[in-house]
Amino acid sequence: MDAALSTLVTNLLDGDSQSALTEARRIRASRPDGQRLLVQGLEAAMDSMSAKCTTEQFNLLEIMLTGRAAMAVAREAFPEGSVSETRGTVVIATPQGDVHDLGKNITRMVLSSKGFRVVDCGKDCPVAEMVAAAAREHAFAVLASGLISSVVPLVRQLRGLLRERGLAQLAVVAGGAALKQCAAEALNVDYVARDAFDCVQFLERWPR
Amino acid sequence: MTGLERILAAVRFQPTDRVPVIPQVFGHAARIAGVPLAQYLTEAAVLARCQISALQRYGHDAVFALLDVNVETEALGSLLRFPEDGYPSVEHYAIEYPAAAAELAIPNPHKAGRMPVALEAARLLRRELQDSVLVAGCVLGPMTLACQLLGAERALYAAADEPEAFERLLDFAADVAVSFGQAQLDAGAHICVVFDPSASPAVVPPILFRELLAPRLGRLCEALKHKGSPATWLHIAGPVEPILPFYPGCHVDIANIDYCVDPRQARATVPQLCLDGNVRPLAFVDSEPQDIRAACSRVLDGAGTGFILSSGCEIPLEARPDCVQALVDSVKRQSG
Repeated sequence: MDAALSTLVTNLLDGDSQSALTEARRIRASRPDGQRLLVQGLEAAMDSMSAKCTTEQFNLLEIMLTGRAAMAVAREAFPEGSVSETRGTVVIATPQGDVHDLGKNITRMVLSSKGFRVVDCGKDCPVAEMVAAAAREHAFAVLASGLISSVVPLVRQLRGLLRERGLAQLAVVAGGAALKQCAAEALNVDYVARDAFDCVQFLERWPR
Repeated sequence: MTGLERILAAVRFQPTDRVPVIPQVFGHAARIAGVPLAQYLTEAAVLARCQISALQRYGHDAVFALLDVNVETEALGSLLRFPEDGYPSVEHYAIEYPAAAAELAIPNPHKAGRMPVALEAARLLRRELQDSVLVAGCVLGPMTLACQLLGAERALYAAADEPEAFERLLDFAADVAVSFGQAQLDAGAHICVVFDPSASPAVVPPILFRELLAPRLGRLCEALKHKGSPATWLHIAGPVEPILPFYPGCHVDIANIDYCVDPRQARATVPQLCLDGNVRPLAFVDSEPQDIRAACSRVLDGAGTGFILSSGCEIPLEARPDCVQALVDSVKRQSG
């Protein structure tokens, strides 16, 4: 890997926003293909973090720090908006009754830095609102993140509500401490993600 | 043996007449008694009555004078929102940056917020049940209280961005836990569960646990023992394997293991610690009693001595009572 790119990736994985930003600016100013390199660096860092997650050595703090640094570099590379938004739109929320939104926020950050457009409906969100947002924003997936078990019946309703709106083709993904204790069939969803990166990998495979 | 004797024998790896069993029945006790959760969480007599009623129904070995994870932060100035029939959540956090903890005083457990409710619940439960079962209180561990004071996201960034101020916040949180925990022991709790889910390796790296959290958890557990607690119980959810080796140095006697942890591996890692766990909590909602019995058999097969059969974390509010009963009956069937 290019030396400058390698430094950028290291800074991103260290969660060192300031150094990552300095390196990103240096790359952008000195290289004609700077923007492409920054995207490569972001991809490489997130892929490396994803690989780490699959070996179950991940923790939220490291992902948050890398995610924050990645967002800073993405803003530098694309001052007009997020990375390039070529991978489609997803709607994410923590369903009604649950206000624990850390996992949702991390997933949003990872998805954004991987090039998805994320419509965040927030926490304590009625499932009908998630479905309305999916219709309005032409999303290809709806993601529910839940820490407490009381959201299970709400998540089960998502697919039926989507079908009623003619959106049966959308992917429905669940994640979070409570929801990942359940099988996809029990939640009536397409996939239960172990973590944010697992979610990204599933969405990348989803036909659209 | 009484429930208390059974649990303390397990802690000391001494023989027991059967495996001790503690479904982690907290707010579920209100649900099965038909009592609104908000009342259970604010009236000590109601909490005690529901806990005793659940004990009579299920026949387990411990009761909990435990409200929710917001007692300490509320006592320190956070504003809570109580939903219709669920646990409260923080609407407005007590502080906005870690250094602001310097302006907070250790709350008086006899006066601040709902702390007196927890103390009174411990007193009532102990008066009624004496030493027949374990009466457990609860304090938040330093990492979780830091998150509850500041908000989890801000607290985690502060751990990386403002390490010195964050360490002072952790010290303050540990001081709060010592004060509140000792008051619960004075009130009648046999022991205080140290509940620290935010210290999980799923949330923070094990090195942060080792460097920042273990010393403070050690000080807390030592202070509880100094006050007469016969054992200390550390409750951290998630994949705790990487931090289990630090527990003995923290003066921990009972280590909770969640459903994702292999009991055999945990036993091999900390052979000297009593373990409690680890049936999947949501199984009490989405499974049948025979599934719970099978899960209990699997757990007990790998557990060995020094083990308390339990759920991996709290029994959900909406758990099926027949599933909770299946957990308790598993150990009774095994012994009988």
